[in-house]
Amino acid sequence: MMRSAAFRALSSLAVLASFAAAFASCRGREAAAPAASAGANATASGGELHVYIWSAYLPDAVVEEFRRRTGVEVTVDVYDSNEALLAKLQSGVADYDLVVPSDYMMRILAHEHLLQPLDRSKITTLGNLDPRFLDKDFDRGNRYSVPYLWGTTGLGYDRKKLGAIDSWAVLFDPRHKGRILMLDDVREVFGVALRTMGRSINERDPKVLAQAAELLERQKPLVATYDSGDFANVLAAGDVDLAHGYNGQLAAAVAADPQRLAYVVPKEGGTLWMDSTAIPAKARNVANALRFISYVQEPEVNARIVDGVHYASANVPARKLIAPAILGDKAIYPDDTTLARCELLADLGDATTVLDRLWTEVKSQ
Amino acid sequence: MSFAASQARLRGAARWQRALLATHAWAVYLFLYAPILVLVLYSFNRSQRTAVWTGFTLDWYRRLFADRGILRAVDNSLIVALATTAITTVAGTLAALALARFRFLGKRATQSGLYLPVIVPEVVIGASLVTFFGVAGLRLSLATVIIAHVGFCLSYVAIVVRARLAGFDRALEEAAADLGAPAWGVFRRVTLPLIAPGILAGALLVFTVSLDDYVVTSFVAGVGSTTLPLQIYSMLKVGVTPEVNAVSTLLLALTIVLIAIAQRLQRPAESAQNVRGDSR
Repeated sequence: MMRSAAFRALSSLAVLASFAAAFASCRGREAAAPAASAGANATASGGELHVYIWSAYLPDAVVEEFRRRTGVEVTVDVYDSNEALLAKLQSGVADYDLVVPSDYMMRILAHEHLLQPLDRSKITTLGNLDPRFLDKDFDRGNRYSVPYLWGTTGLGYDRKKLGAIDSWAVLFDPRHKGRILMLDDVREVFGVALRTMGRSINERDPKVLAQAAELLERQKPLVATYDSGDFANVLAAGDVDLAHGYNGQLAAAVAADPQRLAYVVPKEGGTLWMDSTAIPAKARNVANALRFISYVQEPEVNARIVDGVHYASANVPARKLIAPAILGDKAIYPDDTTLARCELLADLGDATTVLDRLWTEVKSQ
Repeated sequence: MSFAASQARLRGAARWQRALLATHAWAVYLFLYAPILVLVLYSFNRSQRTAVWTGFTLDWYRRLFADRGILRAVDNSLIVALATTAITTVAGTLAALALARFRFLGKRATQSGLYLPVIVPEVVIGASLVTFFGVAGLRLSLATVIIAHVGFCLSYVAIVVRARLAGFDRALEEAAADLGAPAWGVFRRVTLPLIAPGILAGALLVFTVSLDDYVVTSFVAGVGSTTLPLQIYSMLKVGVTPEVNAVSTLLLALTIVLIAIAQRLQRPAESAQNVRGDSR
């Protein structure tokens, strides 16, 4: 008797469970259904667009305007690293139509056949782009990508304490012991050492790389911390006087306290980084993605993006419309000579292994 | 030494012990909650940079409610957490009951298999799930996130309820049945109230685990299914802003309310149990 009683109780609970499951699958279908229908009428007006992008890289108002103009429903999801993006696209079941990888990742994605060549005839605003940012090593002829936003790696510092600074050499000065923050990134840190030695960031000679490692080992006792996430806050809080870092966050810190802080790309040169719009190989809403790529390069739209996210774009006519405070901010828009001294990180091939080993040695010392 | 003197000394020692224990407890609480307090405090900080206090403001909360990305992420997280909790609570309780009550083929394997999702590193779960979804041709979406969460949360409920059932006196059920209670009545009025605290504990555990899971979710999330942890991590990339603090504070408040509700719900069950215990 007991057994059958328990059985009945179990079966009524099973009914409950199936209700819960049904609820969940409804939710799921709700999310999946529009995606399927969008595939069918992607070329028609409306439909969908699934954007996968860095956080704080696309103002809500810009997305809203695109929706109003085209009727396209835009979904924006965010990733926190190029590697996360790579993993998603490699899964083969992620329905993204537009992604914004950084320079070095663009090369990897193209090599893995995860991107599709752009139909350039559909991108009407290509002429707005500054040729200095086109035809780069990571995507010759811009087969796959259109530059979206770019920036530099440089030095944020306390100018009240240190005065004006224009050389990486300051990071190797024992007087600043314990007041230095370096990025926790092998290429960027070696870039500083190589630049200080008058070499290229993309040096491959193992002997030169070993010398750079030696320099970094000697620098290590001076470094308070290696941090790629919170460098600007650490500098703003006054915990360090010198912070090696990306310009975006440092520019924001400087703008908040311009009396005390400053950002500089040292005279030896720094790193240039570029994030570009691209379309995944398996995208379902290609036409809408092309429309969007074209749309964000319209001068008015582009200026609104730059004003909203405080990163520089490669759009020439937009410059007339960008807020003067942002266009005049050297931390966001460096002058032409500074920019000319900056290099994109190239693929090092076999030297990558050497570099990784040297970096481990420096870090574990 | 007189008896009274030694008594007094013992009392003195006890006092000391108590004071020491209390201090220790407070220190532990401080250690646990000080960072959270700082986080809450700085969500009201006027400065954009998190490290410096410059004055009180509600701006970050205003910004938060204007930020579509974050709001959608909160939505997604709640949907996933609620669905996961609903499914795993029912299915996990059933599994625990089956394991405690019945003998069946493969029981041993099921039992040890139950612990697997708790032990296996999340990265492995995430990577294998995304491969599985790839093979199955399931597009990544909110549904795949829920499936994944149910997968690794089911064990929590089953284990917790199972533990509750371990101390269960079957005689109570038999007595109820002897007195003429129908099977459903026995389950609803005897079994369920007795294991309810376990079910509730499991449900709460699952809700929080699901709500703040990052690793597995980062693998299986797809279009329109960015959850709050994913959103926060990607925001950290641009630097910790008080907006992150504000959203964390709200989440914290929600969790506290949930726990308060849970405790309130648990109370009648416990007192009923006490009454039963007295009359026995």
